[in-house]
Amino acid sequence: MFELKKGAFVVDELRNVSIHIGKIVEEEEEEWEEAGPTPKPGIIELRKWDHKLLERYEPFYAPMQDFCNLCTMGPCDLSMNKKGACGIDLKTAKARLVTIACCIGASAHTAHARHLVDHLIEEYGEDLPIDLGGNVNVEAPVMRTVVGIKPKTLGDLREALSWAEKEIVKVLHSVHIGNEESYFDYESKALHVSMADHVGMEVADIAQIVAYNFPKAEPNTPLVDTGFGIVDVSKPTIVVVGHNVMYARPVTDYLDEQGRLDDFEIAGLCCTAHDMTRYSAKAKIFGPIYYQLRVIRAGLADVVISDEQCIRADLLDACKKAGVPLIATSDAAVRGLPDVSEWPVEKIVDALVSGKLPGVFLPVPEKVGQVAPLVAEAVFRKHGGERKYKFFENDEQLMEEVNKCTQCMNCVFACPHSLRVDQGMVHAQKTGDLSKLAKLEEICIACGKCEQACPKNIKIINVIMRANYDNLYNKTGKTRVGRGPIQDTEIRKVGQPIVFGQIPGVIAAVGCINYPDEMKSIVEILEEFLKRRYIVVTSGCHAMDIGMIKDEEGKTLYEKYPGDFDAGGLVNVGSCVSNAHISGATIKIANIFAMRPLRGNYAEIADYVLNRVGAVGFSWGPYSHKAASIATGFNRLGVPVVVGPHGTKYRRAYIGKPWKKDKWWVYDIKTKQKINIEPAPDSLLVAVETKEEAIVQLARLCIRPNDTSAGRQIKLTHYIELHQKYYGDLPDDWPVYVRSEADLPLKQREELLRILEEQHGWKIDWDKKKIVDGPIRPYDAGFNPTLVEEVYAKYTKG
Amino acid sequence: MAVTKEEKFPVAKRFDIADVQVSRDATAVKPKIVANVIKKAKRPLLITGGQLLKDEKLVEFAVKFAEKGIPIAATAGSSKPLIEKGVKPVSKTYTLHQITQFLQDEEFKGFDGSGNYDTVVFLGFLPYYLSRMLSSLKHFSKITTIAIDEFYQPHAKFSFTNLTKDRELYYSMLQEVLDNL
Repeated sequence: MFELKKGAFVVDELRNVSIHIGKIVEEEEEEWEEAGPTPKPGIIELRKWDHKLLERYEPFYAPMQDFCNLCTMGPCDLSMNKKGACGIDLKTAKARLVTIACCIGASAHTAHARHLVDHLIEEYGEDLPIDLGGNVNVEAPVMRTVVGIKPKTLGDLREALSWAEKEIVKVLHSVHIGNEESYFDYESKALHVSMADHVGMEVADIAQIVAYNFPKAEPNTPLVDTGFGIVDVSKPTIVVVGHNVMYARPVTDYLDEQGRLDDFEIAGLCCTAHDMTRYSAKAKIFGPIYYQLRVIRAGLADVVISDEQCIRADLLDACKKAGVPLIATSDAAVRGLPDVSEWPVEKIVDALVSGKLPGVFLPVPEKVGQVAPLVAEAVFRKHGGERKYKFFENDEQLMEEVNKCTQCMNCVFACPHSLRVDQGMVHAQKTGDLSKLAKLEEICIACGKCEQACPKNIKIINVIMRANYDNLYNKTGKTRVGRGPIQDTEIRKVGQPIVFGQIPGVIAAVGCINYPDEMKSIVEILEEFLKRRYIVVTSGCHAMDIGMIKDEEGKTLYEKYPGDFDAGGLVNVGSCVSNAHISGATIKIANIFAMRPLRGNYAEIADYVLNRVGAVGFSWGPYSHKAASIATGFNRLGVPVVVGPHGTKYRRAYIGKPWKKDKWWVYDIKTKQKINIEPAPDSLLVAVETKEEAIVQLARLCIRPNDTSAGRQIKLTHYIELHQKYYGDLPDDWPVYVRSEADLPLKQREELLRILEEQHGWKIDWDKKKIVDGPIRPYDAGFNPTLVEEVYAKYTKG
Repeated sequence: MAVTKEEKFPVAKRFDIADVQVSRDATAVKPKIVANVIKKAKRPLLITGGQLLKDEKLVEFAVKFAEKGIPIAATAGSSKPLIEKGVKPVSKTYTLHQITQFLQDEEFKGFDGSGNYDTVVFLGFLPYYLSRMLSSLKHFSKITTIAIDEFYQPHAKFSFTNLTKDRELYYSMLQEVLDNL
């Protein structure tokens, strides 16, 4: 019998006839789960769920500009919510802008995934199995829930990718002039495309894990060197920057084959750094994306390999000025460079080392693997280890630059953080003391806007970096290599305590580095939760900053807390695209612990997460479009997100009004009634200004309606303690979270009962120390909340 | 009445280029004007921000506002130093982001249930963060907003001019507001 296989066939008896068989559709698809209501949802299929969220968590707009400039009828003054020439009002215009930002973020991850999948299929074949380790059976929770597929091979990922690409285009179409009229509907589309973003991220990370053999959900991955001062400057140094490791990975392979891996330093910036360490623990992490100019201007690189996303748009210029050859690899960032794909390796190396070309575009990973080490070694030989440019040649040069400052303050007005460069300069001029300038390094994102604003052309970044050089150089530590997914067995262990509230919450610290405060603030915030045995999950730039800040004993958080997804664990999932494992973990809780079906069943799962899973996203320094779509994707899944103050520049938040009693209700499947509930969580996306505020908001947003009494008591204890510690008093809203006396912190129970009686008019039976009257609702152990009518109908049938 | 007519005050300068496209600039005002606007208000509110944790002088001024009978909504942890000095803020828990959302709702009855505020004064915020909130209130509410931080805030209805270079002048202006309340 002839068995059909994929490929091209020629039928002997028939001349000029060939048959090409693409995908073989099995006669009967494996019935792994009954299909839910929304597999591969279109842009309006989850609109009803979105509207439920948006009615409760009302969109808040903070326009950056009063005008719209997107078409030729404008610019239009939309101030005071006026309409423009096209008829759009300010709120809807801002909702459209946020939708555009989310489209950019989603397409970045999805295009990254497409690049990877196509390339990896070419390299490893489409039948490469998706194996994420023995403890991961629910391999792609986001894809299962959203797309309704259970991918088994690399080739299967294409189906999810095609769906995501289609939805991104559809949402992008909706932002064209003359489409949506309601800001609610734009928000629904922003939520939709951001959900697609999580699919794109999951595809990308699963593909690279299985093809490159990254760690597969192992909690205790190796610790790798992290920080500005990590490299041995007596070796040629290859610096990789960006988000797509596909291009730089062969560098490690090539050097390994040559037996020369130890002769070179390979260190990265941003997510490519994470993924290089996931491939080889010999790679190192220089730091987050804002370390680009620090590393390049310090002369630490002998060659730079750039790929895509969040990289400086003037990277070539920066490299040129520092005399460092650049190899651009991604077609998303060609940087005006000549395509040398067809050139022999020797010719490329010669062009870069001789300086004939300051950089090249080389989108061929295998060639990058050979070219980069050869260039790095030749450049290193040229300077003989004496790196030319260390911000300044000597202190005299530094002071010459400092003395140029006239305190015009143009730099202060241009700085995203309004850093008082003028004060640092004048203090140094008068006293020679650089300490005020050095302090600025701790918060400077090295964007360079100050240097453009300076009428004296002072190299302000160099001044700041040189002023704090020793501290900067010594700010090194260890990052735990990104582990990828969370194991099913871990979920089985923590699912119940998370849903019931005994583990008080999961804090997911994700995103960029536009912090309002010094880098160490991220560590201070997260350690507060680690000590209290919350689960802390991290990724991307947040994850590497944690690896740079040491305590008095010289230990980073990674060395103090285990990598398990368990109470008191600090889990680094990896790079940006690894964020899908965090949304995936919340989905797995619904599936593995609560047995909720995933397949095409998004609204039910998101509703479950919103009401039961005390997970909160935290982005202390968001700046990219990807951060916008990642956060919005979490929001659709029912996960609130707290952002740092720069996050208000996304212009939109989702903030509920706890004083509007009619907004806070659910259907209770047990009693078959619509029930008023406590406003928990009361915001889906909200900004905070200080680390103190971040800590308190994160703790309060972990509270969920479904908490058991024991769980609520634990969550309230932390919330009240933290509020008292950082705000100096009890929270304003603690009584709304009290359903019975059992919810109250044990140590403060009597005191709080008295306050409830005296200040809030609640009735207390003091003999039994019980609440008789007062709460929004009584505690019911069988409470089974949902906001979704279809879910209510499904579980109340019969 | 704008401060630009007086030589002792620096000119109002926008603090970052993102605020270039503003349809209506805040009137840069002298301290006496700030005091008069607050005095005319039926329901004034002072909102304090996280910079109070870094500048004790701001805490002292906020305490004096409270002593003049202006209710304080403390955000970002600024309640702690205020409470330590005997102030009882009407709100401690909510962020400026949340309070700005509440203020825009006509059904909001204030933190004491007596009605929404008609005049809101802002003290001690990161300038870029406050800018966004003032923009939101400008476009979507009728509330009179007054920024008395060291940076000129174009989205406010009234704002101090730029005082970043001369902190003593800034403190003296805050004191002048209080002296005229």
